[in-house]
Amino acid sequence: MLRTVKPKTARTKRFFKNRESKVHENPKTALIVHSSTSSQKVNDALKDLYALKRANGIHFTKKNELRPFEDEEKLEFFSTKNDASLIVVGSHQKKRPHNLTFVRMFNHQVMEMIELGIDYSQVMSQVPGAKAAVGMKPVLVFNGELFDSNTTCQNIKNYFLDFFNGEESDAVNLNGLEYVISFTALSENKIAMRTYTVQMKKSGVKTPRVELENMGPNFDFAVRRTVAPRRELWKNAVRVPSEIKKTKTKNVEKDALGDTYGRIHVGQQNLSKIQTRKMKGLKKRSNESDEDDEVSSKKQKVDDNDEE
Amino acid sequence: MDVTEILEAHKAQFKPITVEKLVPLDFDLSLLAGFDTNALDDKRLKGTKEAYLKEMTRDNVQLVVNGIFELPVKTSDHGILAELPDRTTVLPREKPLPKEKPMTRWEKFAQTKGIQNRKRERMVWDDDRQEYVPRWGYKGGAKDGTQDWLIEVPNSVDPMTDMYQAKREEKKERVAKNAKRQKRNEEEGAAATMAGKKDVRDLKKDELQSAIAASRTATASMGKFDKALRNEQKVKGVTHQFSSNIGDAKAEKNSSMDILNKIVGKDAKVDVNKAVRMHARDSAKKNFSKSNDKKSDKKFNKKQRK
Repeated sequence: MLRTVKPKTARTKRFFKNRESKVHENPKTALIVHSSTSSQKVNDALKDLYALKRANGIHFTKKNELRPFEDEEKLEFFSTKNDASLIVVGSHQKKRPHNLTFVRMFNHQVMEMIELGIDYSQVMSQVPGAKAAVGMKPVLVFNGELFDSNTTCQNIKNYFLDFFNGEESDAVNLNGLEYVISFTALSENKIAMRTYTVQMKKSGVKTPRVELENMGPNFDFAVRRTVAPRRELWKNAVRVPSEIKKTKTKNVEKDALGDTYGRIHVGQQNLSKIQTRKMKGLKKRSNESDEDDEVSSKKQKVDDNDEE
Repeated sequence: MDVTEILEAHKAQFKPITVEKLVPLDFDLSLLAGFDTNALDDKRLKGTKEAYLKEMTRDNVQLVVNGIFELPVKTSDHGILAELPDRTTVLPREKPLPKEKPMTRWEKFAQTKGIQNRKRERMVWDDDRQEYVPRWGYKGGAKDGTQDWLIEVPNSVDPMTDMYQAKREEKKERVAKNAKRQKRNEEEGAAATMAGKKDVRDLKKDELQSAIAASRTATASMGKFDKALRNEQKVKGVTHQFSSNIGDAKAEKNSSMDILNKIVGKDAKVDVNKAVRMHARDSAKKNFSKSNDKKSDKKFNKKQRK
């Protein structure tokens, strides 16, 4: 559907190179779309989700005819055009009121879909108080044993970990933990999402006491249809390139006291074939059994000379 | 001791940071995430849901923050950073792994010779202007010789040649050569990847072998009666599999019957339309030749008579 553009300028070339597959990937972009049928509740929810994903999000406010479960081609087109691997579609129908469909793509192909209905919502604008800064990484908390035991809940957990991940970093500023999003699996079909700002209070020790303030958005989701991650795509998506794989250092150990030990493998030693200084007289001959005889024979020779 | 009492008193001023949980939490600190698998209190959920959720989340966030504050710390320009451990949860990539690109001719040569790529700086000192100028790109190229204020004419060249023109043409040549080499590398790379070989030389080797094999049978007798050259190797290929003459008579019968059935048997695959067409063509030919014979006879007879 999309014509392949051949880059003619250096700028276009850089743009396409950025969108190519790389070893270390870009942070995932989320595309938030209003469907042709969407209610006020859904619109507000989408606006808030976009606010949470500000730096890596695209918000289509105009209505688009999009039916995720029926038409995957359109999703793929949107994904390719906007380089988005996460798509959220909001719709509202009599059968499925206040519906949010969360889609995850791999290589611009639909890999996973989760449909959540909004039972109760409280938007950021409805909640008084300070809000966290834009673009911060949230702390994520998943409550409930269903997130471990139920496969659908496990997929939902993985999806939201991915959704709110943002830019991958190997260090975090200790003052940068500004807000937390918590998901609670109330039952197999009900998930509560709550967002709070984190306030660090004095505690007498280095680690601060954490207090939470309601921030919003807060949703009560009803789990509707889901499409589990497609196996082939998932297998390819989970592959780790050899550049990122950690190389194990072998034969090096650290004991309890912190000393580092190394191990050298020498191999089996054949004592009779070790290379040493060779003394011809000590060579084992087939007719003589031990060395003492040879030594004594030597001595005798000397004595004879003396006698003479 | 007095000191501990003072410390305890000091601590008692503040709220505790320890949290009691029946089942300890799982963490994935690289994603700043905590997973609580404790059973939920249904009574409180039905009663004061918001307060219960807030309290539970606060406890879990406290545990996550405790974990983060225990991590090794490094100071940087952005403040105090905690070094996060490796990720434990498996998150899928958004695009497949990049395909290995075939090496260009220079890259192969550099690898065999062990030549390392030294990155040169962008700015170069220009003595004439007494400032740094870019080596290439926008406002660059001041040091490639075309903008020298003086170019000596060597004795070997015609004294009336325009040296500036010569330099400009040299540069054009170099650029064209480079472009040609880039194109060649691209084509070779594409050919190599299509054939599934990473190295162009492997692809060409395969092509050469198949060309040699083809040339061997390119004689009038299909290479059967040619004397083999001194170091010629046998062609690798499919050899005929002949079953033995003596042996399983039943198997031989079955295979023969299979062949016969395919041609004339019950599940004989006969293309009826084709058969009809062939028959029609044959009969037309016959009629045509018959009529022709008569005609030719007549002619012959006529000639004879004359």
